[in-house]
Amino acid sequence: MFIDMHCHSVASDDARATVDQYLKWVTVLRSKGYRVDGIVLTEHRQFNREADYSEISAESGVVVLRGAELDTRHGHFLVYGVNDHLTRRFDFSDVRTDPFELMREARASGAIAIPAHPGRSGIGLCEYIAQGVEFPEVKTVELLNGGSRAGENERAAELVQARGYWGTGGSDAHFVSAVGRCLTRFPDHIRTEAELVQALYRGGFQPVRLEQTAQQPVEAKESR
Amino acid sequence: MAKENVRYFEDVELGEELGPLVKVPTTEAVRQFCSVWDPEVGASRFTDEATARKEGLPHALLPGIMNMSYLITLLTTWAPAGQVRKLDTVFRQPVPHNKSVRLVGIVTDKNVVDGENRVECDVSLQREDGEAMVTGKAVVILPSRESR
Repeated sequence: MFIDMHCHSVASDDARATVDQYLKWVTVLRSKGYRVDGIVLTEHRQFNREADYSEISAESGVVVLRGAELDTRHGHFLVYGVNDHLTRRFDFSDVRTDPFELMREARASGAIAIPAHPGRSGIGLCEYIAQGVEFPEVKTVELLNGGSRAGENERAAELVQARGYWGTGGSDAHFVSAVGRCLTRFPDHIRTEAELVQALYRGGFQPVRLEQTAQQPVEAKESR
Repeated sequence: MAKENVRYFEDVELGEELGPLVKVPTTEAVRQFCSVWDPEVGASRFTDEATARKEGLPHALLPGIMNMSYLITLLTTWAPAGQVRKLDTVFRQPVPHNKSVRLVGIVTDKNVVDGENRVECDVSLQREDGEAMVTGKAVVILPSRESR
C-alpha cells in the first residue's frame, strides 16, 4: 500500500489545496498509471479532531488519515495517531514544543512522533545531531520529502544509513500537483490512524517516489 | 485574435502542462520594472547588490510583483484569450538577478462556477535545476466553444 505521509491542505496557512482537490488529483495520477492509495493530512501546528473525510475517502477510493506537523525546539515533527491525550498535553501552536517529551508521550498514548525532513538546512534533525544533541527515542524519520532542496534528502539518507533508522516518504504537498510526489510503501493494508501507528512501530516500510509506483497493481479492498 | 490561438475551456484537461517559459531577469530589467512605480529609482534591495547585502540578503532580488508578472506571462501565453482572475503566491526563496528562471504550470482543476469557466493551475518560478523559488495557485477564466 502506498501512502503519502505528509500533506498540507488549506487548513495550513501556507498551503493552497483543498482535500477534495488532492483526491481529484490522485485520480489524475492513477489515470497516468501511478499508484496512490492514501494520504495523511499533517497540518502545521494544529489538529482538527472534528474533520471527517470518510465520505470523500469512500467516494474516491483514497484512504484519508489525519496527523499533524508540530514545530519543536529541534525541528519539525510529524505526529501520527494524534489523540486526546496529546491535544490536552501539548499546545500544538507552540513553536518551542519539547521534542523528547512529545516522542515519549506519543509512544505512551498509542501515537508516534517522527522527525520531518531531517536533512533540511537550519531546522533538520541532522543539524541538531551535529551540535551534539542525541535522540535515543528516534527509530524512524522522514527520509524522502517532496519539498526538499537539493542534497537534503541525501543528507537524510546518510543519517538513516548510519543509524539504522526506518525511513518514510511524504510529498510535503502544499499545492495540488505536489501530492503523491513521495510516498511510503507499507506491506500492510492500512485503513485507520491506529493501524498506521502500528505499522510505523512495526517497521518494514520503504520510502518511494511516485515514479516507482507505476504499474503497481491496485490492492483489492479488504473486507472485514 | 485568431481563433486558432484561443484556448477553450472544453479542450483543457487536468494534468495539462503550461510552459516552460524561460526568462533572464537582468539587473537592467529589474531597474526598468521598479521605475514603473518610482521613476527616480534609487538604490534598494531590488536594484543594488550592496544595499541588499547590508539588509542581510544574499544578493539583490526581484520584487515579488515582478515574479508574479512572470507567472502571469506564463498564464497569458498559455491562454491568450483567458482572464487571470487570481494569482496566490508563496515566496520560498529570493530570486536573484541575471540568472535564468523557468516558468512552469499544470492544470489541477476545472469547474463552471456562476456561469464562469474556471481553470485552476499550480504555477512555479524555478531555478534552472528545477528547484522552486516561487510557487502559486492561479485561477484563469477561459472562453467556451459554445459561446463562439
